Formats: sequence, structure tokens, C-alpha cells
Amino acid sequence: MRAVVKGRVGIFYLQGFLDGNNAPSFLTLEDIKATEELNIDMLLVSLKKVIFFNKNGLDVFVKLLANVRDQKHIIVGFCDYDHTKYMSINAFYKDNASFSLFKTQEIAELFTSSNKSESRTVLLYNEDPSQRSAMAIELFDYGHNPIMAQSKVEFEEKKKNDSLYYAIIEDTNLGLYGQKVATRVTGNAIIYTISQFLDAEINDTFNLSYHQNSLNVGFRLFIFDAYKVISMNIHALNFFTKLASAAAEYNASICFVGLSFEKTPESFKNDLEDAGLMFFDNMDDILKNKDLLQELGGGGGAAAKQSRSLNKVLVNELPHFIDATVSTIAMMTNAEAVKNSVNIQPLSIPTTNNQYASSIGFYGDIDGLIILIFPKTIAKKACELLIGDANASEEEILDSLAEFVNIIGGRAKVLLSGNKHRLDITLPRTYADVNTLLEIAHNKKGVQVDLSFEGEHFIFFLTR
Amino acid sequence: MITSDEIESYIQNIPPAPAVVQEALNHARAGDLTKASKCASEDPALKLYLKTLMNRPIYGFRNEVSDVAQIFGILGLGASQQTLYNYLLSLLTPKKWELFSLNNHQFYDLQASISKHWEAILTHLKINDKEIQSAITLIPASIIVCESLFASRKAEVAQLRSVKALDFNTILFRMSGRDLFDLSGEIARKWEMPDRIVTLIRSASGTVEDLTGQERVLAQWMHLLLFYELSQPAYVSAGLNEFIDFKIEFVQNIYESFAQVVQNT
Repeated sequence: MRAVVKGRVGIFYLQGFLDGNNAPSFLTLEDIKATEELNIDMLLVSLKKVIFFNKNGLDVFVKLLANVRDQKHIIVGFCDYDHTKYMSINAFYKDNASFSLFKTQEIAELFTSSNKSESRTVLLYNEDPSQRSAMAIELFDYGHNPIMAQSKVEFEEKKKNDSLYYAIIEDTNLGLYGQKVATRVTGNAIIYTISQFLDAEINDTFNLSYHQNSLNVGFRLFIFDAYKVISMNIHALNFFTKLASAAAEYNASICFVGLSFEKTPESFKNDLEDAGLMFFDNMDDILKNKDLLQELGGGGGAAAKQSRSLNKVLVNELPHFIDATVSTIAMMTNAEAVKNSVNIQPLSIPTTNNQYASSIGFYGDIDGLIILIFPKTIAKKACELLIGDANASEEEILDSLAEFVNIIGGRAKVLLSGNKHRLDITLPRTYADVNTLLEIAHNKKGVQVDLSFEGEHFIFFLTR
Repeated sequence: MITSDEIESYIQNIPPAPAVVQEALNHARAGDLTKASKCASEDPALKLYLKTLMNRPIYGFRNEVSDVAQIFGILGLGASQQTLYNYLLSLLTPKKWELFSLNNHQFYDLQASISKHWEAILTHLKINDKEIQSAITLIPASIIVCESLFASRKAEVAQLRSVKALDFNTILFRMSGRDLFDLSGEIARKWEMPDRIVTLIRSASGTVEDLTGQERVLAQWMHLLLFYELSQPAYVSAGLNEFIDFKIEFVQNIYESFAQVVQNT
């Protein structure tokens, strides 16, 4: 069994009965290896469709989760259970749980980084005050708005107005939490929350691949929320200096907010400034200053000043990228996409009305960005198999479009591996308004392939 | 991925029931086991199937049972009819399983185990109806249909499933408007099984709405039994646990009784 990956969360969906006899059969050695190689921030086991489980059955997955957590410092645990299952798990593992418990997948996703800048209001309660506070802090660090009930009575009272909250968090426990740096997106800026003493561990806790992905998909402003940092040592200084050098290639800005130099050598500040990092006292100094935000690259467009040109290797592999796109559309719709024209040019869209766009970056032996622009009707049809509901909302369609582009990225990866090119794909990004994408892609030269699908026109664009 | 034309072609290519088996079934339905066993003895392949099946560990016979009349005698009327249906289904099994890591012996064991448990369930439910007893034999047909339709699309399905937890049944339904149980029903129809059986098989998917009375109860037990069997280590390893969507809410209220029945079988 393989984990299904959505965004940066991998989930095993188990079904039926789970005990010590059958649990090892769910995971082959290849499955375990593939799981360990996943580029994710959270690994969960969904118990939604498990009608019976015992401790021996859970132990098999607990062992895998613990291994992955130790290796990758990510959050691991179980999700999608009812109160009875929650009580059973707690009874099995008492206070020794080395994993987190999230009542639903939606709750779990609040504790991870994504490409979306959505701040959710959630109601939260846990009998243990330290768990309550830990959850509230984490949620806040991920950009959400937690409302913490101090007692069961208060919680039950507030719960009555459930329409006020995106989620009601109960029967949830962070347990031995992964120690990743919390990440949130605000507009076109990415905010990382760092705290305590920063040392060589930052190399493990900072999600470098997420950062790289964000650069690849067009983010240009990165802010370290450092109010809670006490001090840093030379290893952390080296880490941030390297990060600044890498960001320079993309013309990205990295800022520190709220960092105190009471216990950190003042000379570090000079070194970091020399490397190109900037320091601000308050978050609002950046986020509320539109001109500054624009200058730093977080104003919306975030277009790279130094646009990188297409290279021969990328153009040579173009047929594989088109193949991956066309065959995915054929697979999902049973209809054929026809290639009409291929040109090297800046992205040109005849109309931005009634269109959705999505993009996915790739990096490794070769790097670049695939952009797809569909009429809304086509996007809906292409996602029908994933959604299964003809009346899906725009949010559902865009979510499925991200999954759809992920499949294309995965296919391109497989096709290119035949030519010995190893590459990784970034998180997909979707755009309800194509103009937002144009701000990122304008002036970028790339290969534009105009395709038609059931008489409608859609665009494939490959650039760097 | 899968077109309606392919599904039509699949249904058209389902072989009709061999005349000898059909005749044996007619005798069994009429309650004449002697004539049924005489008829069955005329088909060497059926004879071998019955002999192999009866000597599988699940039946627990110490000495080899080889005579068809003896086998039918041991099985009784209802189970003999059920075994004849199982044989028909075995004619559809692929020479080599590609989608699921399964072999035909494992598949026959699955058939036998489902049949045995179903018998215990019907006893528990106090239902004595040969047609209902036989209906369960067509449930594993959904696995054969799935293997046939998706074997050449293993890589495509794996890619799809890497981003979304979709089971084969849902993929097929979303692409064609028909699911694996509908197609199993088509097999039953082609083999001239009574309409009641066709309806029961379809309802075992757990997705048919507005089921009431005995129909709903049987559908619930069939659905849970299927998942109980597919949770056995050999079938989990074969990948069968993931082939349809388990409707846990559909069976939740019978779980306790189910656990008692299978524990005592």
C-alpha cells in the first residue's frame, strides 16, 4: 500500500480489519522505502474505514511512523476516527504516544504548510492545558486564528455556533510533535516561524525543499518571524547566509522580523546584512507597507527580475512534457487532446475570462515550470474523475486541478527518468484568476503549445 | 481510461454457462441431487474442480473425497447449487493475474471461505433460501471483472491513486456510470440466474440507496463479509483490500453480531 500525497501530507487509507496478522501485509519493503522517500511534512494513517483494530495491528504502523519521524523530523500520526477509536488508541499507548492524533484530515492540514494563504478560525479544546496551549501556538504559527475554550462547559457552549468555525478541534493530541519550522503564506509572502536557540538543528527542522519549491513556483518574499528566538550560533548563521545566496539567484528577499540581539552577537547582524538579509522590528512594517512589499517581491506579481532563459536540454525534453499532459487528459476524460501549434514566445492568452490556470515546477537535473491554462468547462471535465460531483464548487475544482497537475508532473518525472534525468516536482499551484498568473509569467519566454480539446482551446507553457 | 465500448465488449465476451452445468443447475434447483451429480460427472473439468475444492483445508476432510455424488451428498442441496455457480465463475478467472498478486488457488480459497461464512450468516439470520445462499458466489465476480478491465492500466491507476484515494469501483463508475457489481450482475444475467440474485449482488456494493427490509440486511452482511475476507493477510498482500470502497457507516450497526458469527464459524 502506498500513501496518497495531497499537498505536503501523505496518508495511508486503510480499510476493513486491522490486527497483528494482517497489518504487516499492508506494507511491503518497497512501500516502506517509497514512504521514507516522500517529500512531505506530515505522514498519517487514516482510520476512517477501519471497523476493527487492535494494538498489534496499530503497532506495525506506529513503528513505520516513528522511523519516518526520526529520519525526517516530520509530523506523524493517525487521523479520521471517532471518539471511541480515540479513546482506544489512548488506552493502548497511554502517555507514551510517539505520534500525533488528529480527529480529521482537515484538522491535520491546519498544522502543515501549504501554498494557500487562508487563515482559518477554529475552536479548540483539550482537557490537558499544556496540549491546548501547544495546539493554539502551532495553529497561530501556521497563520490561523485559534479560539481556545478553557473548560469543557465553555467548549460545549461555543460548539453550538459551529457555523462560526472552519473546524472544531477536539479528540486531538499533538503527542510527540515533529519539530519542523512552522510555515504560513500571507498574500505572496511566506512566513517561517522560528524560536528558541537556533543551532545546527535548523538544517533538519527547516524544510529546504518546501522553500525551494516556493522559489520555483514564484514566491519572492520570505519572512522569518523571529520574535521567539533567544539566540543563534555560528551554524545557524551559516545556514541563513547560504539561504540568502540561494535566494539571490531568484532575486528573492529574505527578512527577519523581531529578532533581538541581546544574546546574539551584534556582528552576526552585519554578516547577515552583508549576505543580503534584511531586519525589521515588526511584521506590520513589511505587510502593511505596500510600496516596501512591492519592492521586496511580495506585492503580488513577484516576477523574477533576472528571467532565466530556456535551454537546449529543456527544449529537447519538451515532447515528454507534452506527452505527459496529453496522455493525462486522455486518461482522465477518455477524450483526445490535439496539438495545434508550438512556438517559442512569452505567454500569450487570447482571453483571461472564464479560465483557470495551474502551474507546477520541477527541479533536479533540469528545472523549469509547467503552466496550464484551461477554459473552466474543460478544467471541470478533466477533474470529473477526481471529484465525482458534477456540481462541485470552485474551491473543489481548483483543489482537483492541483491533483490533476500533480499527476502530469508525476508522469513527466517517470517519462524523463527513462532519459536518465532525475527530477523532483514542486507543490502545484492553481489560479482562479489567470491575471495573477500573468503577473508571475509575464516577459518570461517559453514554449507555448496551443492544444484543443473537444473543440476548446487550452494552453501548455513550459518556461524557466 | 475505460470506455463504455470496452465494457460492452467485455459483457458480450462472457461465455454462456456450459450446457452440462446448466442442466446440473436445473436439477439442483428442482431438488434432484442424484440427477444433478450424474450430470456433473459428465464434465471432467467440473469433476476435477469439485474434487480439488472439497479437498481444500477449509472443508477439513481427513480422507480424500472424490465421487461427485458423494460430494453433492456432503454439501446438500443449497451448497451444491452454490458450488456449481462457483465453478461457473472459475471459468472466468484469468490464466495469469496481473492487477492483483493472486493465483487461482487463492481465489478458490476465497470463494470457499466466503461461501462457508455466508452459510453461517444465513443460519444466524434464520434465512433458508437456496437462491440467497447461492447469490454470494457471484460476489467474487467483481474481482475478476476488475482484473480483466484494469490489468492493462495498472500504471495509470497507480498514478491516479498517488494523488487521490480512489478505488477501482469508483473509477469505473465515474468513467462509465456502471460499477463492478453492476457488471457482476450482468454475468449473473448471462448465466440465467434469477433476477433476485442480480439485485442482491448489485446491492452488496453498499452504494445502492433506498434499500429496505431483508434486502438491506443481506446487502449489509454481504458487504461486511466481503471486507472481512479481503482483510485476510493473503488478500491484503494481493492488493484486494483496496479494490472497492468500504462503506463502514452502512455496516456499523451489524458489526457486533457479525464478529460473533464469524468467530464461531
